[in-house]
Amino acid sequence: MKQLLFRNLSKHYGKRLLFTDLEVPLTTGQCLLLTGKNGAGKTTLMRILAGLDKPDSGEIQVDQSRYTWRTYRPHLQRQILYLHQQPYLFEGSVWDNLAFALTRGLSRLEQTQQIEEVAAWAGLSALLNNKAKQLSGGEAQRLAMARALLRKPSALLLDEPTANMDHSARLLTLEMLEDLKHQGLMLMVASHDPDWFQAVTNQQIKL
Amino acid sequence: MASISSATWQAIQLLISGDPDLWEIILISFRVSLIAIALATPPAILMAFLLAFGNFPGRRLLIAMTNTALAIPAVVVGLTLYLVLSRSGPLGEWRLLFTQTAMIIGQIVLAFPLLVAMAHTALQAADRRAWETARMLGASKIRAIWTLMYEVRFGLMSALLASFGRIIAEVGASMMLGGNILHYTRNIPTAIALETSKGEFAQGIALGLVLLLLAFILNLLLHYFQGKGHIAA
Repeated sequence: MKQLLFRNLSKHYGKRLLFTDLEVPLTTGQCLLLTGKNGAGKTTLMRILAGLDKPDSGEIQVDQSRYTWRTYRPHLQRQILYLHQQPYLFEGSVWDNLAFALTRGLSRLEQTQQIEEVAAWAGLSALLNNKAKQLSGGEAQRLAMARALLRKPSALLLDEPTANMDHSARLLTLEMLEDLKHQGLMLMVASHDPDWFQAVTNQQIKL
Repeated sequence: MASISSATWQAIQLLISGDPDLWEIILISFRVSLIAIALATPPAILMAFLLAFGNFPGRRLLIAMTNTALAIPAVVVGLTLYLVLSRSGPLGEWRLLFTQTAMIIGQIVLAFPLLVAMAHTALQAADRRAWETARMLGASKIRAIWTLMYEVRFGLMSALLASFGRIIAEVGASMMLGGNILHYTRNIPTAIALETSKGEFAQGIALGLVLLLLAFILNLLLHYFQGKGHIAA
């Protein structure tokens, strides 16, 4: 799968129209930047793309095949991972959080290898035994990204991933996004501060 | 005043000396109420879960009915079940009246709405990101439910403790359904009522002290869990 192309997406929130006939292309190895004011519908759109919320209408083209959003929803939920603006971390340690996302049937050795590998990638190796709920904002976001990566998704949708981060944490997040692109993931980043993400952005949609 | 203090002193002596009749009543109380809570909790939490996250017709009506059931007096529950379980009632053939099983059924009926209402409140306050994150990370529905329940575990423990406190101290349903039979269905509240009516205050006060101590411990635990719940939130 090289591209997921969402077409004719429409959504009302109450009586207010958030977007209509919207086209969203998610492409392997590329980052799509989603901008817009607060309340423009960025989060709603991402949740629809991840199969969490329903659109009023919408269809999906996967390479050459076309589906309705409804029929393709179970696939969306497997292939696309949405990361909340403030990622939810489970009780327990950083290790426990990463272990939660591991696929079943792995040997103890494979589990350890995968967790240590992804923790090193996210710069969390030294924090594996720390309580997840006590991580800083930047560390929590990196843990959420690392945890998502263990599910081997096709696409990652990140909602304001650098909100409340200091400068160095933001730079680290950008580096990780660039690396995810090289790994061949489809990326989408929602931000009301688009300048930060220009370095990793291939395409941009404004709501 | 002197008689109250001497009866209280006698009561403490009864408790400390391990009076077998007294301790048997205490054990029957705990046995019946613990079984009732254990049986009521799983369906109550399931129903609370459906009320909190389900989307089905009649949901609001069910919530209103559950909240109404909270106000039903224990004696009315006792009367209703008495009519159902008595020989001429629809379940009379089961011969359950004046047994511990009947007391357990009565206490389940009393605990159920309180468990549902409190668990529903706890689950409604749960962070929905916990459910979504668990599901997106490949958790089965069962595992995601456990994750969410763990998230609100302190609220659920509060529901459990409050319900246990309610049923172990109720007298109406136990008296009508159990019949207050010595060595079999006499529990703390029915024994207190009986001993007081006979003018035997020492045993009544001793059992009252046990209930008071239990209420104090439950309140301490409730306070602890509610505090924990706020911190976790």
